[in-house]
Amino acid sequence: MTDSAQPRVFLVDDHELIRSGIRAEIASSVDIVGEADEVGAAIEMILERNPDVVLLDVHMPDGGGQAVLRAVGEHDTTTRFLALSVSDASVDVISVIRAGARGYVTKNISGPELVDAIYRIAAGDVVFSPRLAGFVLDAFSTGQDDQPNLVVDPDLDQLTTRERQVLRLIARGYSYKDIAKELTISTKTVESHVSSVLRKLQLSSRYQLSHWASERHLN
Amino acid sequence: MSITTSSHAVVGTPLRPLRRGRDNCILGGVCGGFATRLGIKERNIRIIFALLTLIFGLGVLLYMTFWLVLTRSGEEHSIIQQIFQNRREAQIVLVAFIATLILVIALQSTGTQVSDGFGWPLLLSAFASFAIWRGASTDERNHLTDFFNSVPVIGGAFSKSRKGVVLRVAIGAALVYFGLDQLNNLGGVWGSAGSALFGTAVLVIGVLVLFAPWWLQNVRELTSERRERVRIEERAAMVAHLHDSVLQTLTLIERAAANEGDVVRLARNQERELRQWLFSPETRTNASTSFVGLVGAIEHDVENDYGVRVDLVTVGDCVPDDRVTTLVAAGREAAINAAKWSEAASISIFTEVEPHSISIFVRDRGVGFDLDAIPADRQGIAMSIRQRMSQLGGEAFVTTAVGDGTEVQLVMPRTT
Repeated sequence: MTDSAQPRVFLVDDHELIRSGIRAEIASSVDIVGEADEVGAAIEMILERNPDVVLLDVHMPDGGGQAVLRAVGEHDTTTRFLALSVSDASVDVISVIRAGARGYVTKNISGPELVDAIYRIAAGDVVFSPRLAGFVLDAFSTGQDDQPNLVVDPDLDQLTTRERQVLRLIARGYSYKDIAKELTISTKTVESHVSSVLRKLQLSSRYQLSHWASERHLN
Repeated sequence: MSITTSSHAVVGTPLRPLRRGRDNCILGGVCGGFATRLGIKERNIRIIFALLTLIFGLGVLLYMTFWLVLTRSGEEHSIIQQIFQNRREAQIVLVAFIATLILVIALQSTGTQVSDGFGWPLLLSAFASFAIWRGASTDERNHLTDFFNSVPVIGGAFSKSRKGVVLRVAIGAALVYFGLDQLNNLGGVWGSAGSALFGTAVLVIGVLVLFAPWWLQNVRELTSERRERVRIEERAAMVAHLHDSVLQTLTLIERAAANEGDVVRLARNQERELRQWLFSPETRTNASTSFVGLVGAIEHDVENDYGVRVDLVTVGDCVPDDRVTTLVAAGREAAINAAKWSEAASISIFTEVEPHSISIFVRDRGVGFDLDAIPADRQGIAMSIRQRMSQLGGEAFVTTAVGDGTEVQLVMPRTT
């Protein structure tokens, strides 16, 4: 058994090569408790082994990562999900986040970065890649919307100035620590801003977000 | 309908083969073709055809014949040739021809007005337009569809909107009324017109019994054939793309296997291209119409020339003008600068287009430098970026420290 302080991680990906690649990169820093190559098995094993973090491939046969997210989400579980994908298509990103993933990274992320992301997800934080931050800024942009100012719930449908600042810095390639320094706030505050953006992303009924989601038959 | 044409004929050019016009056509391009060939204005030829039509519809018949026989400019075969190249099309058209003939003969023997003048040419023209529709190339069909959709009454009648339905009903009712009126003139539905109608009905049923099964089968086969063709076309586009880019790159990677830098560069290049092809086809090539396209070119060039990975995030887009182009050029210098000197493996570029300003941020996590002790050559670059920005009424900030990376911020106000 490995050190109990290490997060317990479960891998879901239908490509054996990708799984073994990821395993090789993170095995020394986290406790890998299992892996699955298809949706059905993944749901069953995740519920049975209750890992801290699931690394979830977005594109798989039989519904992909979203199917796993939805099925596991129906149960009372502490498992958190980090979506992993080769694509940067906004539809994919927004959809998995809305289905309940706590973060999104692309598969060309470096080993140490991935480990860092896993630890942050395990600690309850949110992982935003620069590109995801860009999408969110786009989706919540106030200027040129398809349906201008159709704001239903200002609490959920708009970002605060601070949240915007934080997202911009993430998009510019800043780490949370850099951001804290730049805005002279604590790293914890940065994290809470990002978490609240994630919440808005998941719950907002903003047109663009619902549009993206409905394209993938989500809500 | 707003198709204006102008003659392409230039006096003194050698005679070209007679082709139906493509650029100077309204319907089939026959008049345009003659105009180009003879060096006269299209309008004159059109008037001649219109006048010929007054003589028992001769103009229409001639037009249709030329339409069938002449090859459209830019295409290889005339419509007639195209019909006879395909056995099934040839059959269909032949049957339609026979049906037309039977109809003409039948109508004549029942003594309707077809015989006196316009009936013959009209029926033959109807047949000809059917043949043209069967044999026309996809391109020409599209042209014709566009044309008919743009004709005010006809185009409206085929649309599914409420207005279209009303129009169609109105036209239909008018025709029915006209037809009944004509029959009445002939001697009433129960008189001689009655037997004519009866004969025609028997004839039509006979033709239906003869040809219906064959016709239905044809229609069914045609639909499945069309669906298959669409699938094949899509597949061909996919294969072409994969072949042109992905396979080529894989071959290059195999060859460059010994050189790690090259492999990464090639793979990354291909990844970026494929990604763009799959996910954002609208910005595929249009660097001239899109700010994002312009910035994408920076990503491409820096990765290619310096082997440094660029993480590009863009928010918003706009149509670039001269000022935007200058801003992007400044951003490009900043990125190249970072790629050359920072020793970082990757650079982040973030751009945001807002209603009142456009910003570009170029950041690396490389070695950084001491702003007060910059080598002269780097100072030059920083200066040129600053100068450009101040020309634009914008600003350039450089944030850096030794060992802490560098960030260049470029902000330009938009003049709207």
